[in-house]
Amino acid sequence: MSFRVVVGQGSCGIAAGANKVYDALAEQLADSAVGLGIAGCIGMCWLEPIVDLYEDDTLTMRLVRVGKADAKAIADACKNGDLSALSALAITEEDAAFLTEQTRIVLRNCGIIDPESLESALQAGAYTALKKVLAEGDGMSPEAVIACIKESGLAGRGGAGFPTWFKWNAARQSPGEEKYLICNADEGDPGAFMDRAVIESDPHALIEGMLIGAYAIGAKEAVVYVRAEYPLAIKRLLNAIAQAKAAGLVGENILGSGFSCDFRVKAGAGAFVCGEETALIESLEGKRGMPRLKPPFPAAAGYWQQPSNINNVETFANVAWIINNGGAAFAAMGTERSKGTKVFALTGKIKRGGLVEIPMGRTLRDVIFGIGGGIRDDKAFQAVQMGGPSGGCIPADLLDTVIDYQALAATGAIMGSGGMVVMDDSTCMVAMAKFFLDFTADESCGKCVHCRIGTKRMQEILSRMTEGKGKEGDIELLEELCVAIKDGALCGLGQTAPNPVLTAIRYFRPQFEAHITEKRCPAHACTALLQYRIDADACKGCTLCAKKCPVQAITGDVKKPHIIDQARCIRCGQCKAGCKFNAITVA
Amino acid sequence: MSKMITVTINDKVCTCEEGCSILQAAAANGLEIPNLCNDESVKVYGACGLCAVEVVDDGSGKGIPKLLRACSAKAVDGYVIRYDTERVNRARKIALELLMSDHTGDCVAPCSLNCPAGTDCQGYVKKIAQGDYHGAVEIVKEKLPLPASIGRVCPHPCEKQCRRGLVEEPISIAFLKAFAADRDLEQDTYRAACAAESGKRVAVVGGGPAGLTAAYFLRRKGHAVTVLDAAKKMGGMLRYGIPAYRLPKAVLDREIEEIAAMGVTMQNGVRLGEDITLEQLRSEYDAVILAVGAWRSMQMGCVGEDLEGVIGGIEFLHDISSGEGALPDLRGKSVAVCGGGNTAMDACRSAVRCGAENVYVIYRRTREEMPADPLEIEESVEEGVIYKYLTNPAEIMGENGKVTAVRLQIMELGEPDASGRRFPVPVEGKFETLPVDMVIMAIGQKLSPKGLDGVELTKKGTIAADEATFVTNLPKVFAIGDATNRGADIAIAAIGEANRCADVVDSALKGKLSPVRKPFLSKRQVTAEMLADREKIARCKMPARDAAVRRRDFDEVNLGLTEDIARAEAKRCLECGCHDYADCKLIRYANLQEIHPERLAGAKNTHEKERKLVCIERDNGKCILCGLCVRSCEEDAKQGILGLVGRGFTTVIRPEFLDRATVEVCKTCGKCVNVCPTGALKLLD
Repeated sequence: MSFRVVVGQGSCGIAAGANKVYDALAEQLADSAVGLGIAGCIGMCWLEPIVDLYEDDTLTMRLVRVGKADAKAIADACKNGDLSALSALAITEEDAAFLTEQTRIVLRNCGIIDPESLESALQAGAYTALKKVLAEGDGMSPEAVIACIKESGLAGRGGAGFPTWFKWNAARQSPGEEKYLICNADEGDPGAFMDRAVIESDPHALIEGMLIGAYAIGAKEAVVYVRAEYPLAIKRLLNAIAQAKAAGLVGENILGSGFSCDFRVKAGAGAFVCGEETALIESLEGKRGMPRLKPPFPAAAGYWQQPSNINNVETFANVAWIINNGGAAFAAMGTERSKGTKVFALTGKIKRGGLVEIPMGRTLRDVIFGIGGGIRDDKAFQAVQMGGPSGGCIPADLLDTVIDYQALAATGAIMGSGGMVVMDDSTCMVAMAKFFLDFTADESCGKCVHCRIGTKRMQEILSRMTEGKGKEGDIELLEELCVAIKDGALCGLGQTAPNPVLTAIRYFRPQFEAHITEKRCPAHACTALLQYRIDADACKGCTLCAKKCPVQAITGDVKKPHIIDQARCIRCGQCKAGCKFNAITVA
Repeated sequence: MSKMITVTINDKVCTCEEGCSILQAAAANGLEIPNLCNDESVKVYGACGLCAVEVVDDGSGKGIPKLLRACSAKAVDGYVIRYDTERVNRARKIALELLMSDHTGDCVAPCSLNCPAGTDCQGYVKKIAQGDYHGAVEIVKEKLPLPASIGRVCPHPCEKQCRRGLVEEPISIAFLKAFAADRDLEQDTYRAACAAESGKRVAVVGGGPAGLTAAYFLRRKGHAVTVLDAAKKMGGMLRYGIPAYRLPKAVLDREIEEIAAMGVTMQNGVRLGEDITLEQLRSEYDAVILAVGAWRSMQMGCVGEDLEGVIGGIEFLHDISSGEGALPDLRGKSVAVCGGGNTAMDACRSAVRCGAENVYVIYRRTREEMPADPLEIEESVEEGVIYKYLTNPAEIMGENGKVTAVRLQIMELGEPDASGRRFPVPVEGKFETLPVDMVIMAIGQKLSPKGLDGVELTKKGTIAADEATFVTNLPKVFAIGDATNRGADIAIAAIGEANRCADVVDSALKGKLSPVRKPFLSKRQVTAEMLADREKIARCKMPARDAAVRRRDFDEVNLGLTEDIARAEAKRCLECGCHDYADCKLIRYANLQEIHPERLAGAKNTHEKERKLVCIERDNGKCILCGLCVRSCEEDAKQGILGLVGRGFTTVIRPEFLDRATVEVCKTCGKCVNVCPTGALKLLD
């Protein structure tokens, strides 16, 4: 009987202290027979750091919220072979259901294998699909690969949901000697981290998917465009490429098949618009990341004007599974029009936030109230933002919307890359819309008039609303700008930038109206609109609030009710926080 | 040669080569689809969004749901395309409004904007600075056919807004105009060409500044114009209202001669309603313009106004200025002039010249509020005029039916009124009696409605004319100038109306009357602090005859600017208006339809000018980021010096990385400046 201790070391785990736990465990386990290893991210953010205990390669116990102080107890238990002392650290059944309710294809190895070990990946079945494709004699032709992907119904997971086989086929059919396969790992939506987790946790799944894609379109070079803000992902990806190359899985004459494909990793300098495929290509070519006019599409004239195909990380991570299990198995999951699974980054005011992979066709309610466990602190659900700055919010009465591309689009939101930000009723939807416009207005590349100036104007209008300076007609002006920007912008960033505002107005119009006509923020979130008042009956005249007030806005005699000078008040809330008699109200 | 295809654009059947864009197809067939970021010398870019078009039929009987960018969308055989649909116009409108909401610049200098006739002051002042006086007059005469006369008498609203005034004093724009016009009249006088004869006939009733200007511009447009005037000579108020010491009759004669020489028929001694009726004119001519002026002085309504010796300012000046009889002999007399406007000035100074011993100006407010030109007040004081500020005639006293004195109510200033000036209120019981022999009422003027049978009048008794078309209630009859709407105003205002009216009449004569539309213009606010770095150079002084001498005759007071003074003065101009206004595509498109960028008002990019390349100045306030300069430098000039820097709203175009080595690569080929659709780039000398 041998024990192995595995510490989850994705970026999130490390942020929660996984490195320190690992170091402490290494110290405790030195000179012992108990093994120590790492894994990537299992996707249960709220439980990090997570330590898995394996007994003869079987996961025996999952320990959560582990601190370095727990290292000795863990080491001792493993050395003794008696884990009962660790039960306080063990994951609860309720929390464990987070994983059991999922169907993991993309995340199949995440948090399980050692992301820095090719051997670990191979044991988990990595490169079996590549071997199947390239097998001498009974391998698959590029056309057969494309046919298999077509049968699977796989659609681009970056957000647009375009059929993957179609793009592959177009690039394959496009005349040209040099063709390129590009992976878009420029995951830029606020709150989205699926792609980072895949690269950090299972880089070979990406490499294998890309190799199959390159084989299908006839590319000899594959490029991963990954944002520089993902240093761990870049490190593990480069490591994995080197390992695969050493093993003959990347480079010249792969597996003796005659198929060659080299890999390059390009770190992007952090422009959101570079997630747009033509801007990404410009950036790859060393130019300023600005979208190109389409047509021509990249399949005809992309990287260096050669036929190119671009998919995102999640899309590629599905490919090996589809080849191994057949297109039909993938298509068996999901809805009529949306096949397979989708990974979501569930965040916000949710009890159990993290990475959720589910088959298409489940409802939002399943994800948020089932897997996610509902709203934190049992507050009321208000909305869920899907698709980040390009998406929209969905209100409570649409929680039974099924997750597929078309059903989500009908709500005004989008599937997007998988950001799912849950909001409770303390979120002001006007401020939320402003937040996303702040983002897109900043990230506009500046090329199109509509996007550059239009998003700025929308942001200004939303800003003045949150400051109580909104004007009659501002909602209509916003709507007019939304339509104009959708019509007038060249790329996805601009065309989708109005979505958060449009959906917020569509579902929460009374909140916008309250900001304008009553100068009131119903969620009490816009500080400029708050009014702190002292209830004269409840106030005991203890003077504490007057002492706490940083701007001397509160006056009153001892043992007499105090008052707040609204003109001076900066709405910091310190008076209310300090009042022992609950005499201060905010409206 | 590649295959030719056919598309229909805005109803026009267009043939073009297969593979060309819709924009190219339109251009090849003489149609201009608005676009700002496209140029044939560089690759398609697709940023401005102005070239949106709607394919209303793609050949299958159905349209394409999305608007297409004409610059990048290919023309496909059989397409029916429109760029004037409501949807396209709406898309273009908001694109232009967005662009204009972040456009900081002055299309036109504030001087021109404040000139009621819109004369291009900056343009002619620059020509004067260059010593090109005929060129200067050519520019003036695009708006105003009487520059030597108006340059002398105009109260120059242009100078009130001159930004040089924020540095020290405004440019002496009016006198510069007179200077250039005088030079031009001396020899090789500029004369505008007239269009081919249209066969249409226009009658202009009234030969004052309004009538002459209307005649001048209609003649330039090829129409046969007859000016009819009741007086013996043409010129109207310029001749019969303004004394010769301000505007010598010979100067006016020369300028009227110039108009006559263009083929304008002039008939004097013809009084409407006596010698000819409006009905006759309407039947004989294709259009009639009423520019009859306001020739009667208003009365004050105080006791004694009917006494002998009380005269209206207009009538007094007419008698003097007509030169048609002896000057009134006022030697040893005391004269009171009531009023504070320019007519009062002309009257008091004329009275001095007629020998009056004491001349008083009765004005109910103070000098601060007086509407007359301060220079004229100053000059009249030099000539001996006495000002009785804060007084108002309460009664004109007389003996044997003749004026002997005026009783003045003493006033004080109260609260500001609607005009913003403090309103004068009587100080109860406080009076002063001023012995005088003559009282001249210069408190306003009104129209004599004689001969205007059937013409609808306003409540004020002026002719009711539409503000945008100048049409009256009678078909084919237009009205302009002092006789209309708000009544008498300065000459240049009447001239501006006349010019615009000529455009309207011309459009009507060509079949479709189109109203004048005030063009949309980009403007910016400038403060004195922004001009603090300018060197202070004093405004020129107009040399004038000594007051003791000039008060004895009606010869011109001013001696005229010398060439050295004039050119030095002209060089003070700050050139506020955009150098590229005439060629600016942005402003041209902005005026294709009504736009309201103010509804999208928000932050603006700085208008500060940068000079990162040796000889090219960039005004970021005017840059619309179309990228043409960047692409032209890279693709056409093969230099690749410029690039976009930053992101979002604050993106700017600069030499990439502001690298000195990069900057020095610039050969000043000027290609970037040439392709710039606005005035953002300027090649410096």
